Amino acid sequence: MSDSNQDKGRTEAGAGLMRYSPEGMMPFGPIHPSLKEPEYFKLFLEGEKIVQVEPRIGYVHRGIERAAQERTWVKNIYLFERICGICSFHHSLTYTEGVEALAPFEIPRRAKYLREVIAELERIHSHLLWLGLLGHWAGFDTLFMWIWKDREHILDLEEALTGNRVNKSYTTFGGVRNDLPDGLAAKIQSEMGFIEKRVEYYKSLVQSEETLNVRTKGVGRINQTIAQKLCPVGPLLRCTGIARDVRYEDPYAAYGEVPPQVQTSNDGDIASLMVLRLNEITDSCRMVKEAIEKMPSGPYRVSFPRSVPAGEATTHVEAPRGELFYFVKSGGGSVPERVKVRTSTLANILTAIEMLKGHTLADVPVVLTGMDPCFGCMDRISVVDVDESKEWTVGGETLRNYGIEYYRRK
Amino acid sequence: MGSFRTGLTKWARKRSIWVFHVNAASCNGCDIEILAALTPRYDAERLGVELVPSPRHADVLLVTGTTNPMMRERLRTVYEQMPEPRHVVAIGACALGGGVMKDCYSAGSGIDSVIPVDLYIPGCPPRPEAIIFGILKLVTGSPPDPVPVGEAIVK
Amino acid sequence: MSSDDLAALASDLGGTLAVGPKSTVLSVPPDKVTEACVGVSSLPGWNHLSTITGIDLGNEIGLLYHFWKGRRFIQVRTQVPKSAPRLKSISTALAAGTLYEAEIQDLLGVAFEGNPFLGKKLLLPDMYPPNAPPPLRKDSDPEKIRKMMDLE
Repeated sequence: MSDSNQDKGRTEAGAGLMRYSPEGMMPFGPIHPSLKEPEYFKLFLEGEKIVQVEPRIGYVHRGIERAAQERTWVKNIYLFERICGICSFHHSLTYTEGVEALAPFEIPRRAKYLREVIAELERIHSHLLWLGLLGHWAGFDTLFMWIWKDREHILDLEEALTGNRVNKSYTTFGGVRNDLPDGLAAKIQSEMGFIEKRVEYYKSLVQSEETLNVRTKGVGRINQTIAQKLCPVGPLLRCTGIARDVRYEDPYAAYGEVPPQVQTSNDGDIASLMVLRLNEITDSCRMVKEAIEKMPSGPYRVSFPRSVPAGEATTHVEAPRGELFYFVKSGGGSVPERVKVRTSTLANILTAIEMLKGHTLADVPVVLTGMDPCFGCMDRISVVDVDESKEWTVGGETLRNYGIEYYRRK
Repeated sequence: MGSFRTGLTKWARKRSIWVFHVNAASCNGCDIEILAALTPRYDAERLGVELVPSPRHADVLLVTGTTNPMMRERLRTVYEQMPEPRHVVAIGACALGGGVMKDCYSAGSGIDSVIPVDLYIPGCPPRPEAIIFGILKLVTGSPPDPVPVGEAIVK
Repeated sequence: MSSDDLAALASDLGGTLAVGPKSTVLSVPPDKVTEACVGVSSLPGWNHLSTITGIDLGNEIGLLYHFWKGRRFIQVRTQVPKSAPRLKSISTALAAGTLYEAEIQDLLGVAFEGNPFLGKKLLLPDMYPPNAPPPLRKDSDPEKIRKMMDLE
């Protein structure tokens, strides 16, 4: 399958996007100099090396914060969870916690545990998704297929508990929407055992597989100084050895009673990000098992006052990609006065840019995936050749094929 | 079920469907379910569905998202780069009519205001089964036999 | 967090401190914001800038700089009048603030002098109507904006 993709890549090369010179592959353009095509990242190249990156994230901008001011408090749960389909539960969770903080309100313990179970299941699914995609971008499609097949087990569990695979609408003010159905607790325990075994296998695979190693070891290296300056979040921060995790430092849901063991790695490169995220999956499996075992009895939901009192609330959670921040302001009315959302990806863009500098185009897909961005980010990348004053755009798949060819010839 | 399967395999061997996917300001929910449809659990690839890296090689365009103003031009360009015969599939509530983002200031109201659409697959996001069902319906012109979860609507 | 250090910082800058259930708010005039933020981020363990929030407060635009450590936030707070919505960017001193300021430039029309995105857009579409108010201002009308951008 990847062979035919490469054939198509070569045909594209013939179309003028990239040319294979006798010395090797060189990106060459432009295709449509007059057409201003939108891009997420503008890469400035000097020779082969990226020297500067300009982000432009207008693509997925829809105007959600403004729309939230015209929807009732409950309707906003459904709006915010669609900011991102991968960490959608974390969005609805942070928003719900923010609103619950406005009224001094304590949800039942059982609800806290259930929220933690789904949050950790979402982390597992998101990290698996990420690793599969990393495999895809690095040319290792088999890994992508295997991992996504395993990931379906997690989606089944989420669906059994919440009713949906992706946008679960599981939290609500005062608790969660459904209780744990009979028999699901045992199923969850056994699936966690399955995932733990698979993750052990993937850990040994990613460390021994040459295709991955050559594209991830030493690639995209950042260090603590950069991290302290640019304030990234999540695994991107922890791969430099800095152990900051909202679940541990500022516990929400049931994390005070079932805390994480914060994982770090020290090399600050994509290879260490892989191992770090796999370790986080193992830790999440442990937390899910523990939360299910210790699940308190009692109600899973209590009623929440009809009107939300006036005030301001600042909340954050540790989404799979890092700290997800919400600021909620209520004027006492039926709609929020202001909801500010800072996604984890936004916090990581500056650091991702640092990771890209000094690398070549061939490394771009893997390094950008390293920060675990939303998909669309790699759809269109604009490249500026500073020396030759040429500018052109390149699509994600073409860049992927270029990277695979580049490393194959190395 | 047996005859359905043989019929389908016979048909799939006759032609394969090359799809190009565009995310036009989507939350990625639909995009993940499209990718999931290609992975072993649902395995759309056994039916000949393959993701290609360029619209120039595609038969079918899968579009997700509401198309915010920045994406409209790109979507049109991609559509124009596709050789005929070409089909467009709008996947997910946002692509159908804006979905939950309908009144946001920077969200379009679905992709059929930008390019002509042949098939709409509702859902937020639609399940991988529904996506495969829809694509098959588009290509064969008639719904595959019963069984699939979810529904697709052909214009 | 040593409350003495923060109190000292507040009095140095002519600001006030208010301790809330989750955030301690350090209110300062706009020309003291960079100093306040640098001061807070130099307190041990307080280097993490979570984000900068902008709010339309009617006659002014409020700016909240959220720093996080442990179970609390320190919020540096200021406001600029709508008649003159500009102040100095913190991005030269605290690079982490760059994109957060750029977002507020786009969505609320505040100018952060010295921010590399000043005059450029980070989030808003290129075709955002130049005569429409920035989208998070109270007088913006999403329906009108949609019409002006040709969205049905």
